[in-house]
Amino acid sequence: MNSVSVLAAPEIHAPPVEFSQLAPMLIVFGAAIVGVLAEAFVARPARYAVQFPLALVGLAAAFCWTLWLGFSEKPQHAAADGAVAVDGPTLFIQGTILVLAMLSLLLIAERAQDAFTAQAAALPGSEAEQESMADGGIQTEIFPLTLFAVGGMMLFPAANDLLTMFVGLEVMSLPLYLLCGLARRRRLLSQEAAVKYFLLGAFSSAFFLYGTALLYGYAGSVRLSAISAALSRSGGSETLLLAGVALLSVGLLFKIGAVPFHPWKPDVYQGAPTPITALMASCTVVAAVGAALRVFYVAFETLRWDWRPMMWGVAILTMMVGAIVAITQTDIKRMLAYSSIAHGGFLLTGIVATSESGLSATLFYLAAYGFTTVGAFAIVTMVRDTTGEAGHLGRWAGLGRRSPVIAGIFAFFLLAFAGIPLTSGFTGKFAVFQAAADGGAVPLVIVGVLSSAIAAFFYVRVIVVMFFSEPEPDAPSVVTTATTATAVALGLTATVVLGVLPQPMLDLAGQAATQLFVR
Amino acid sequence: MTAQEIVFLLLGVVTVGSAVLVVTTRRLVHAALWLVVSFGALAGSYLVLTAEFVAWAQVLIYVGAVVVLLLFGVMLTEAPIGRSDALDSGNRWAALAIATATAGVLVTVVVRGFKDAYLPPRPGGGTAGVIGSSVFRGWVLPLEVLSLLLLATLVGAIVLSRTDVVREPSDDHDDHDDHGDPADHGDHDGQGRGDA
Repeated sequence: MNSVSVLAAPEIHAPPVEFSQLAPMLIVFGAAIVGVLAEAFVARPARYAVQFPLALVGLAAAFCWTLWLGFSEKPQHAAADGAVAVDGPTLFIQGTILVLAMLSLLLIAERAQDAFTAQAAALPGSEAEQESMADGGIQTEIFPLTLFAVGGMMLFPAANDLLTMFVGLEVMSLPLYLLCGLARRRRLLSQEAAVKYFLLGAFSSAFFLYGTALLYGYAGSVRLSAISAALSRSGGSETLLLAGVALLSVGLLFKIGAVPFHPWKPDVYQGAPTPITALMASCTVVAAVGAALRVFYVAFETLRWDWRPMMWGVAILTMMVGAIVAITQTDIKRMLAYSSIAHGGFLLTGIVATSESGLSATLFYLAAYGFTTVGAFAIVTMVRDTTGEAGHLGRWAGLGRRSPVIAGIFAFFLLAFAGIPLTSGFTGKFAVFQAAADGGAVPLVIVGVLSSAIAAFFYVRVIVVMFFSEPEPDAPSVVTTATTATAVALGLTATVVLGVLPQPMLDLAGQAATQLFVR
Repeated sequence: MTAQEIVFLLLGVVTVGSAVLVVTTRRLVHAALWLVVSFGALAGSYLVLTAEFVAWAQVLIYVGAVVVLLLFGVMLTEAPIGRSDALDSGNRWAALAIATATAGVLVTVVVRGFKDAYLPPRPGGGTAGVIGSSVFRGWVLPLEVLSLLLLATLVGAIVLSRTDVVREPSDDHDDHDDHGDPADHGDHDGQGRGDA
């Protein structure tokens, strides 16, 4: 931070910046900048060997610092002159994002089955592309870009005012738009995904910004606590307030992928390199839901009779559309994308609850769902044939006979998505639905259970395809490598532990939630 | 009506009029130039409202950088410079309807939201000094993070556009070879550094 030299000027007083409490974020950004420098000064063959450990160590150090903050200092504080709120939920969400990012990084760093193109600028199908493929290189810029995105994801849910939140949103999204376009196979699909995500994402950012502007017009401040205070004074213009809330919600719901702002999700999840899809499906969802929690719990809590009906509608639509459309999918990544949309709906029921138990249940759900998702996408990267990943569901036929262990683990992840008891998915759904029911949203819970049942249908269908049909003669094989296997193992462990022994994690989420949000 | 309000109104008319011309003209280059007028008039409106810094940023970034970028885009892609009918999209009526509806909603919200609230412009309220001290006091952290966003964007632009990543295929190396000849390497790394 070069703020120090600027602050030396006489008439500007130094704002208090609590570096120790912001350290997890600063470590991640610092590692990203060192990565950019490594990109410039390290010889090409040595770059991968530098970038991967650097990124991993950066994330691990940030995670350790987050743990230390959580267990020793118990901060309850708005840092950096009120721009960033460091409180229980923030630390829980940041810790979750960091662990999930480490798992995704293991997939991103996989070299044996390169998911990333060697040269993004080469035209798909051109000679230059074939040359770069044969060259065996890899664009190691993906590591700093990933770290930038993770840093943005940590800022997004921690932001204490809408402007900082917008900055976090952009820092999180821009590297992701780029990373989406770097898939090695099916380049055109990947580039289409990147452009689509970029255009729609820019559009939704504009909504977010316009909502911020209108709320500034209402409250005279973009700080969440000031908006809340303006609400309890109940002066000002209703029109500005309601229009602002609506536009801001569009921006947030887009990032969560809630219906009707979901159409980007299947296309982008399908086109992006699978490790990046894993990163988006886990960390981005955690960050976006975290930000939505903070906005609706801190700024608009007193307004909840106005936004709850809207949230009800969106949650019901999201759960039902996600579950029903998933049935018709034949591509495994698209199916998981619709499943992710449905899970976004379950998470929204936790937001609707607007209570301490709703908050802790949502936090637990985020952690549980993130681990399972990364594990599931890790297995998608492992099942390969000559053209790369075997995306079509039909190609997965008989996988259970050829590689029973991998098929078994994948089946377990699917059961966790469906919410079968003894998996983390069950505990998460139970906690969220209980909180929503306590909050008076019983019809919402009924719709949630119904859509869980519909969703279970297509999860079980995949399991049936894997175990009870004959494999094709040229069926894809399972390529296991150390890093991917580690990611799968960790995802599996978390899914089992959070299902069988959820209490420690529930306590942790509960503890984080008792502090509630600082204002 | 004060002189200030009249000037503001006139600038507004120029902004909207030239914006309409941007989308209706049949010459691509003219559209870019009308955009200059529109952005310039908007900068003038900011000045009238005493938002000096925003006005100059508008001139520098939009009139300067963005329009120049557009013109370069037109030149480099060999787009038709003269009159061309292909500029009309088949969706233009739908687009017009949506644009009118959006404008209607936004104008209604602002008009109903602020009603007759009036804040007299304060001379010197939007100078670089005032904005600078606010940005570097209360908004230091977001500002610094924004610089990271720029860095990430730069790196990304290089990733998407660099074509010299591949070494020249030499006769003596096998297809899956991570370690090419060192001389070739140094050369490309040098270029990489120049880009970054």
